[in-house]
Amino acid sequence: MALVLVRTTIIFITLLLIMRLMGKSQIGEMQPFEFVITLLIAELACIPMADSSIPLLYGIIAIIAIFILHQIVWLLDLWFRPVKNVICGEPSVVINRDGIDVFQLKKNNLDVSDLIESMRAAGYFNLDDVYYGLFESNGSFSALEKEQVASTSLSLTLVDLGKPDKKNINKCFGGDDFDKFLSKQGAKLRDVVVMTVNGEGRVYFQKKGEKYKILQTEVKEKW
Amino acid sequence: MVRAICYTLAAVALCAALFVFTEWYVGKQFKEFYDAVEVLYEKVEDETANREDGFAVRTLWNSKKEKLHVFLPHNDISYVDYWLSEACGLIYNRRYELALGKLEVLKEIARNLPDAYRLKFENIF
Repeated sequence: MALVLVRTTIIFITLLLIMRLMGKSQIGEMQPFEFVITLLIAELACIPMADSSIPLLYGIIAIIAIFILHQIVWLLDLWFRPVKNVICGEPSVVINRDGIDVFQLKKNNLDVSDLIESMRAAGYFNLDDVYYGLFESNGSFSALEKEQVASTSLSLTLVDLGKPDKKNINKCFGGDDFDKFLSKQGAKLRDVVVMTVNGEGRVYFQKKGEKYKILQTEVKEKW
Repeated sequence: MVRAICYTLAAVALCAALFVFTEWYVGKQFKEFYDAVEVLYEKVEDETANREDGFAVRTLWNSKKEKLHVFLPHNDISYVDYWLSEACGLIYNRRYELALGKLEVLKEIARNLPDAYRLKFENIF
């Protein structure tokens, strides 16, 4: 029986560690340890229930072990701030006054399209709709929004961390207009952190290591 | 908060008590079973074992396994059933040499099975 408790504890710690390493992209509105518990409880309850050769007591002990671990993590969370940061992580400011913080994004295993998706889910459809954007430790997105929303048109992502989206580029630019636009900005494709364009031709453009710029361009077709 | 801590401590105490009890109880049951098999083994060696001796060990095991099912996986218990049935069958037919081999396996199981569930490094990983 003690064996079940020790093995459950090892699996719990391993899963927690892995979830923390995976970053916020893998957590859906839960603290990492809550997510781990959700993963484990279902299996622990199921196995002794379905497999009659395993004593029910094994499942019960494992679930009690999870309860004890949950309480320990919760108490550590309350009493020791550094432990809380290790177990649950810290909020990551991914958008600041300079634009997108690529280091913070990569630290959380996210890319710009993940960020834009999270923003849309939170009700912000353009990158410059917010002063600050952050991923909470539970993976949810919060933002300090601007007083006035810059645009009423949806933005398309043209470049995401140096990777072009050909379909969107062709929708916005004709011929080699896109290359001309980049050379006008003195940027190579791989240097572009993000470039989005909305239906009115408003461009959110950010180069590596620089503050973002809001530019205007002609779009091939409006949407 | 205080209530949560109390619940946690109660759960820890409950688990600790259960672990100690299980360790002691399973060990005791298998020790008694081992002793019974050992006696049967000696009788088989002397070729004095009869149907009743095999039946007595089987009855003893049946009474123990009902409770052991709570603590051990049922497949492990069925190994004992299997080897004990074979040994008893051979004893009924007075094929003592063959029965000795089966009883040797049973002794080994009775000696090692509780160890497989003890808190040991090799069992954890």
